[in-house]
Amino acid sequence: MIEIKLVVNDKPYTLEVEPSERLIDALRNRLGLLGTKEGCGEGECGACTVIMDGKTVNSCLVLAAQANGSVITSIEGVGNRRSPHRVQKAFVEVGAVQCGFCTPGMVLSAKNLLDKNSKPSNEEIGIAMSGNLCRCTGYDKILRAVKIAAEEGKE
Amino acid sequence: MKKRGIGLGCSWYGTGYGNGFPDVSSAFVEIHDDGSATVLTGAVDVGQGSNSIFAQIAAEELGLESQDICVYSGDTDATPDSGTTAATRQTYNTGNAVLKAVRQAKSSLLDYAAHEFSCPTSEGIELKEGFIGVKGDPSRRMPLADMVFQARLKGERFISAESSTARSTPVDPETGQGAPYWPYAFGCQMAEVEVNTETGMVRVLKVVAVHDVGKALNPTQVEGQIAGGVTQGIGFALLEELELKEGKINNPALSSYLIPTALDVPSIEALFVEDAECTGPFGAKGLGEPAMLPTVAAIINAIDDAVGVRITSLPATPEKILQGLAEKREGLEK
Ligand code: FES
Ligand code: FES
Repeated sequence: MIEIKLVVNDKPYTLEVEPSERLIDALRNRLGLLGTKEGCGEGECGACTVIMDGKTVNSCLVLAAQANGSVITSIEGVGNRRSPHRVQKAFVEVGAVQCGFCTPGMVLSAKNLLDKNSKPSNEEIGIAMSGNLCRCTGYDKILRAVKIAAEEGKE
Repeated sequence: MKKRGIGLGCSWYGTGYGNGFPDVSSAFVEIHDDGSATVLTGAVDVGQGSNSIFAQIAAEELGLESQDICVYSGDTDATPDSGTTAATRQTYNTGNAVLKAVRQAKSSLLDYAAHEFSCPTSEGIELKEGFIGVKGDPSRRMPLADMVFQARLKGERFISAESSTARSTPVDPETGQGAPYWPYAFGCQMAEVEVNTETGMVRVLKVVAVHDVGKALNPTQVEGQIAGGVTQGIGFALLEELELKEGKINNPALSSYLIPTALDVPSIEALFVEDAECTGPFGAKGLGEPAMLPTVAAIINAIDDAVGVRITSLPATPEKILQGLAEKREGLEK
């Protein structure tokens, strides 16, 4: 077992993890943060996206030990029912959610884009979201929601 | 060189299990004394939004808001079987079962209310905006919750169990006669593509999709299902190929079986036509699978329009298109 220290959603944690344990397992099984989803487990779908030190990563490809000393935001850290993040609000408004499996990852990718670039072009939005697969929505409403959230943030 | 083309695809699709297989959905309903209602059905909402549809159907019939309806679904311990979420059947088949069940519970409520309001027939009672009262007489009405509460104290309960069966017949293989499906869903789509004649790559630039949904119970969901279907159709037409080797799938991963990403989808214009299906709940019928079917034909036709290559096996990979172009050139040279 390896001891790691990390900050998840503004809370500091010290965890004992297996050397081969993935970040997604530490988040889901040790911290009970079940909002992070595992779709493919091989870095293709983006369902497991979290923000690590300001970058989106596929938490199925990151070892928990590699996250030692890092600051992580998972979907649980991005607003809630009472006060949703503007990306979440826009997703609900336009109906960008169907089965919802891709949604946590989509929201985190969108949030991270807007944190860095408050006025993304359509193309930049497309590129930022292209690492997250969605089988239900056809992306149409997702891309529109990100656009709306971006516009709201500008004011 | 990049060449553009436009193609059209049309589809008609029989929804439900069909071919004489009994297609049964069922639902339990209770109207409560707080002015809400519960719907229990085995139908599983996999994200297409059937739970919202059932809540809307119950709300419409009871004069309530859909947030007043609690839908419990897909629990084999507690909910009655409503078949699979497949065959584009939940809005139509389970929707019909829910509507029948709501109407049954409602009819005992109307009978009770007619008696309370000294109205000679329950036909004179209406449910509207959370109230129950005598039609055309605003002085004789009360909140639905109050009526159900009073009834409850007198030992009345408004509960129901109903099922709905869509009937079809097998097709006679000799004569081709029969009624294998009901209802049918219709759709028509146009796609504009750009084909790169050097690489064989196809980019879909735009898709306009129009579907007959009978009645759009939830327009946002209809748009979502159409856009989702179109995108799966793009994958079907251009990317997705299940490679089988001796019965085993060769590419069982998203790294080798490619599906469209946000960068592969064009602008999708999702439109619908409402031609009420008289056997459907409030005129609605299914949309799920039909939304992806015309896309494939529209794209393949658009490729033909752009570069004159007829693709006859899916997906239309760059290799197949380059081969088609080479054959065309050879044909011309001869
Ligand atoms: S689960 Fe990590 S990318 Fe799919
Ligand atoms: S909403 Fe189902 S995968 Fe995106």
